[in-house]
Amino acid sequence: MAARPRVYRAEGIVLRRRNLGEADSILTVFSEGEGKFEAIARSVRKARSRMRGHLEPLTRSRLLVARGRNLDVFTQAETVSAYRGVREDLDASAEALYCLELVDRFLEERQPLPAIYALLVAALEAIEEGGGASVTRHFELRLLSLLGYEPQIDGCAVCGGRLPEEPALLSPVTGGLVCSSCRPDAGGGRTVSVAVIKLLRFARRVDAPAFAALRMPPDRARELQAALAELVRYHLERELNASRFVEGVGALERRA
Amino acid sequence: MPATSAPEPIVRLVQEFTKLPGIGPKSAQRLAYHVLRAPEDDALALARALGDVKRRIVFCGTCFNITERDPCAFCTSDQRDRTLICAVEQPLDVLVVERTGGYRGLYHVLHGSLNPIEGVGPEQLRIGELVQRVEAGGIAEIIMATNPSLEGEATSMYLQRLLQPLGVRVTRLARGLPSGADIEYMDDLTLSRALEGRQDL
Repeated sequence: MAARPRVYRAEGIVLRRRNLGEADSILTVFSEGEGKFEAIARSVRKARSRMRGHLEPLTRSRLLVARGRNLDVFTQAETVSAYRGVREDLDASAEALYCLELVDRFLEERQPLPAIYALLVAALEAIEEGGGASVTRHFELRLLSLLGYEPQIDGCAVCGGRLPEEPALLSPVTGGLVCSSCRPDAGGGRTVSVAVIKLLRFARRVDAPAFAALRMPPDRARELQAALAELVRYHLERELNASRFVEGVGALERRA
Repeated sequence: MPATSAPEPIVRLVQEFTKLPGIGPKSAQRLAYHVLRAPEDDALALARALGDVKRRIVFCGTCFNITERDPCAFCTSDQRDRTLICAVEQPLDVLVVERTGGYRGLYHVLHGSLNPIEGVGPEQLRIGELVQRVEAGGIAEIIMATNPSLEGEATSMYLQRLLQPLGVRVTRLARGLPSGADIEYMDDLTLSRALEGRQDL
């Protein structure tokens, strides 16, 4: 077997950071070529660390990583984008963190998934441009699709028949929308309006900025959010921590 | 007990040391045997210091800094500007700000920063208590001195949104180049903020 190179390059987005010992951190990075992986950033919590600012969560960086016995070690880092517009806006930060947590929870380590990487980069850029929660909804639906969980929204997920233009049951168990006659076999779910069904179909067709450009009344946005959250919860079998933050931040905004 | 294992008090001490952060089983053993060899006075002084820390140190009921008396010396002092509160993440940060000698206001220790992904929310921090202090009146400005990290910034922005409607001025520390840094290795975010905050020579 040929010896593996001792260092490799990766371009990726820092998903999360946890501290290790006195001054080190373990970072979880989602990279284009390597997939999701963890590595150690040594002395990165010291003021004079040269890599510190380049390895913050929610930073897209070019990295040089050395293979270690257990964990790999970052040896160089250079920011591609720090998403300043996201960082300096509370609502945008909340949306972006939710997207990062989605990626972190759904992906296995060391599986290169360039399509999902491109999707995440596009989502962060769209949030940076002020796309807001719509970008997150678009990201959720597309992420589910790329992971193989694309909901069936064209016809009935049980009988395959056409869906009349009326509210339908979105059933995670059957994997999509269910017509009224198949409803008893669908094993629960959430009834979604015609408007939301159309939004889901539209999100599948267009990119994040185009979807974010769509004006949505607040209650429709909430309905879409609840529908997608239910799919995510079903496949992940848990709630996302960041969703509580998104809610809390939104509640403050409405109060103010 | 097998004859090869150490006497019970030593084993117990090793176990206690192992609970400390960054101390593995080997380091714990070394520390335990060091204590064993050290003069009895040193060992007892250590034991007393440990006991005192837990018995005599409390959190100030106003600013949540660590103190021997509640309310703490900052909160009861008439030498300090009582219209000014500096919000920090940790008690250690208070010492660091004090060391600059340039701040004469009060403090508020949040005991952490918001970390949405790890599930640390506002209710785990002393955020509600800071809001109460502002609501009680007499506060003109809150200086956010959280870390310039993603979590620290989120905490500052969250508090700003919470406090602004109460009619208090919310500021945050300037961001720029640390002394002794290399521009060559500076991240874009810090450098661009430093550029925006440049000053006449």
